[in-house]
Amino acid sequence: MASGFLLSRSVLSLGVHCQHVCRSVVFTQTREKKRWMKAYTLLMARKLKLEGPPPPKPRSQKPNWDYHAEVEAFSARLHEKFSLELLKTAFVNPCYIRSEEERRRGLGLDTEAAVLSLADNVELRTQGLDFARKFLTDWCMASFPSLPKEGVAAVVAYLTSSEVMCHVARNLGVEDLAMSADFPIPDDVLHGTFCAVLGALEQSSGPERTSFFLRDFLVPQLIGKDLFDLWVVVNPMGLLVEEMTRRGTALPEPRLIRSAGASTALPLYFVGLYSDKKLLAEGPGETVLAAEEEAARVALRKLYSFTENRRPSDFSPPRLQTPEQCAQAMSSS
Amino acid sequence: MTARGTASRFLQGVLRNGVGRYVCQLKRLSLVFSRSGQSSLGVRGFIEEGVVDFAKKHPGTVVYVSPESCRIPKIVAEYLNGNVKEEVVTCKTAREIGDLVTKLANQSGLDIIRIRKPFHTDSPSIQGQWHPFTNRPPSVGPIRHGGREDK
Repeated sequence: MASGFLLSRSVLSLGVHCQHVCRSVVFTQTREKKRWMKAYTLLMARKLKLEGPPPPKPRSQKPNWDYHAEVEAFSARLHEKFSLELLKTAFVNPCYIRSEEERRRGLGLDTEAAVLSLADNVELRTQGLDFARKFLTDWCMASFPSLPKEGVAAVVAYLTSSEVMCHVARNLGVEDLAMSADFPIPDDVLHGTFCAVLGALEQSSGPERTSFFLRDFLVPQLIGKDLFDLWVVVNPMGLLVEEMTRRGTALPEPRLIRSAGASTALPLYFVGLYSDKKLLAEGPGETVLAAEEEAARVALRKLYSFTENRRPSDFSPPRLQTPEQCAQAMSSS
Repeated sequence: MTARGTASRFLQGVLRNGVGRYVCQLKRLSLVFSRSGQSSLGVRGFIEEGVVDFAKKHPGTVVYVSPESCRIPKIVAEYLNGNVKEEVVTCKTAREIGDLVTKLANQSGLDIIRIRKPFHTDSPSIQGQWHPFTNRPPSVGPIRHGGREDK
């Protein structure tokens, strides 16, 4: 305000009353309605229309950013005790180091001065991803004991896929902290960063805390998902026959139970699967074959206990052992 | 405008928050105020009295205090899902600002628009999709041995 006032005073004292706000907008110094404002606003609007909105800026280049405080808050927010150095290493991607060194070289620094003394997260990445795969496989086998290996692998592949992990990472604020060469951060880099965070957590607080972290943040993504959305089975009837021979029960017999409107545009067939004269499952479909396939899927879901009305998985917080309990356990043993 | 014309959403949470553990969704809070302005009196009072307590109580939130020469003091809240919310706090008392900040910390950051129903479920129908045999006695439409439909 004050500088503007001084500027206008000096301009007035020189006897110049016109100023260029922009290339084609002339600002005349008067104390009246700002008639130049309309032209200026229209020009800015046209510029925005021609050039499009400005490219998105990473949060770290906007005002109010303290990297150390942000990293500390990240750790506190998730109720985990990260070692801060490891966590900071986990956010440094190799592509960032490469681009930063190139930028420094471009600015004229010699090769030795341009080298950054930062460790990248490649090791933490592989470690975190391996741990996540191992834990999720164990968890899946414990929660769905009758699910075969291919099914477990499909569920684990879904949970550790780039899509799900990036969704979780974006909603936990990893995107702001991750250092990457380009912005918006590509999915594969964000996926790697989240895996590296898992690796850092495993190194700083141990595998038990990491497994609780995975259970609390990745496993809830399974809620409301159907088994065959995650696991593509082309021939469910063949799989059902295989499964029943393995269990030693009688093979399923498909029977047409009900049908309606067979000669119309919207026919409906119900196929029931019987094993040893007991109804296993029934499924609807527009053709008899589709109904049979649907019935086989329903039967498989029941066999693998992956139905919609299954008991919710256990998400209770880990029991903290107080020193008194530890002492009691010691004395009782 | 009628209820159908306004924006609406279903009741939801960010990332199934609370199923596993609760995560405070407010990640960043900036207090923008003037050092000497009359309208920033309440913000200055809040910074003297309450902001340290707030930051201690919410370790997952980074609080920035930025004095600028501005007439309209405001609070900028950034949430984990990327939403940014600005609240103008002109001529508010320190106590009102404290309440406002607590409210911001308790919100999820999702848009505050009309919520269609006060409950939500992923599987809205218990008995499944309607088909011609829903709520019909089992004697309707069975297949007999001859392979013909029962009339």
